[in-house]
Amino acid sequence: MDLKQETSVKNAHSANGQDMPKAEEAVGLRKLCKRFADRVVLANIDLSIEKGKTTVIIGPSGCGKTVLIKHLIMLLRPSSGEVFFQGQRIDDLRENDLAKIRTHFGFLFQAGALFDSFTVSENIIFPFRQQRKITNWDEMNHLVQDKLAMVGLDGFQNYYPANLSGGQQKRVALARAIAMDPEVMLYDEPTTGLDPIRSDIINELVLKLQREIDVTSVVVTHDMNSAYKIADRIIMLHKGKIVADGTADDIRNHPHPVVQQFINGQASEEDLAVLRMKGGMSRPQFEPEDFRD
Amino acid sequence: MIMALGMRAINIVYNAGQFARFAWRSNMSCVSGCLRAQTYPLVWTQMNIIGVHSVPVIMITGAFVGMTLAVQAYDQLAGMGLEEHLGVLINISVVKELGPVLAAVMLAGRIGGALTAELGTMNVTEQIDAIRSMGIDPVRYLVAPRVLACLLLTPLLIIYADLMGVVGGAMVSFWYLGINSQAYWDFSAYGVEMWDVGIGVVKGFFFGGAIAVISCYKGFACREGAQGVGQACTEAFVASFMSILAIDFAIAVIAKAIYKTFWPLKGLVG
Repeated sequence: MDLKQETSVKNAHSANGQDMPKAEEAVGLRKLCKRFADRVVLANIDLSIEKGKTTVIIGPSGCGKTVLIKHLIMLLRPSSGEVFFQGQRIDDLRENDLAKIRTHFGFLFQAGALFDSFTVSENIIFPFRQQRKITNWDEMNHLVQDKLAMVGLDGFQNYYPANLSGGQQKRVALARAIAMDPEVMLYDEPTTGLDPIRSDIINELVLKLQREIDVTSVVVTHDMNSAYKIADRIIMLHKGKIVADGTADDIRNHPHPVVQQFINGQASEEDLAVLRMKGGMSRPQFEPEDFRD
Repeated sequence: MIMALGMRAINIVYNAGQFARFAWRSNMSCVSGCLRAQTYPLVWTQMNIIGVHSVPVIMITGAFVGMTLAVQAYDQLAGMGLEEHLGVLINISVVKELGPVLAAVMLAGRIGGALTAELGTMNVTEQIDAIRSMGIDPVRYLVAPRVLACLLLTPLLIIYADLMGVVGGAMVSFWYLGINSQAYWDFSAYGVEMWDVGIGVVKGFFFGGAIAVISCYKGFACREGAQGVGQACTEAFVASFMSILAIDFAIAVIAKAIYKTFWPLKGLVG
């Protein structure tokens, strides 16, 4: 056993005797809480992301999905609780040590987060340029071409993000996220803003990455078609807690009313009552005369 | 009331602590950045944006400072028959005080605002998080090159401002006020020492560092939305301006103490 493995096991043991991470766990959260000022966003989350599987996190807007996924790579620090990566506790690491851990991850951000002063090609090469000195530019250009071809954007190398549509930007961001062949891919709303065909291509790409290079994927989405297609496991968050956890079939047949409302896209009676009270259902928000001079 | 005051005090101390940590990390990143080959192209790019593009505005600022000083001070000196000493007054004011401070204020507005807006926008569009997610330290990649460029170029820009201030003051004195040029330069050479020029340039080094670190910090700490970015830019300029004045005062006191201590030894060396 080498020193790193030894440290990992020690950390895992010291964290919590009975909560030792499972052998096949890629990332784990133990009793994770996150508060912003007085607002509790995540409350006592226990979650084990299995290696090589696709875990999909669903839930209504504002329930803490993005906050949760950012904790997996420690872009946010927990208010309390622990985070493990391959058995090693990472929530107590300094930024410099975390930087090494983060190279195992790829992250697709909700709005792409492309560097707008760089071209598409420069965006994809960026992580390589920062990690090492590039000597073989032909190889690098081929890599960019391959990754862009995977997302259907070969030929867009010299475009700036401002010249691309929102969907194209997201696909370039995906190409950048997979450029370094990460072990764990984190997708924050990967199909939002894409047409149904492109959404399906992204779904296929997630499945392909899992099949061919055994990537562990965590996907945050609202898109239930996408969730059913790609998920080995679906987790539903509601008000900062996990309310459902199972396969696609388990979720389809889940007895919890919140789960059924979400997967069927139905507003709750509570929500409708609020709208009726404020007159939102009886009158359009803006009358045509509101815009007259 | 007491609770509100307490909360405000805690907030101020918290923000001061956050800024101190950021400034420390920035300094460490600058030191380590100097040892990495990847940093130099980034510094070069920033030097072009910060330095080269600021030259015209800095030169114009310097020239107007010298010209205005000449017009304003002439009547007082002429009343005492000392108009030929105008060069000493203009040049010492320009190189020691007004040139560095006004050039730094101009840079705080031009560069500081741009740095905060750029980094603030990167922050709210998650570009800084994207850098972190790739295992790259955003302070090392984004802040260190900007701080290094400001540290290196602000003193140089101040030399430009000084030069234009001296030239502007001289032109107005000779052509508009009709002062004898020979006497003007003779008195100037007698009254202005290398020490005075050096102090102005040293101030530039500290001003540049303060502008860059404050502006980058405000960009990194920027709140979400267009309003958040706008507010961060305003705060960055105000904080930079205040720190320029505070640093100017501190250096003036320290420089005076050093000058007084070593002044008696000047005769022995020279």
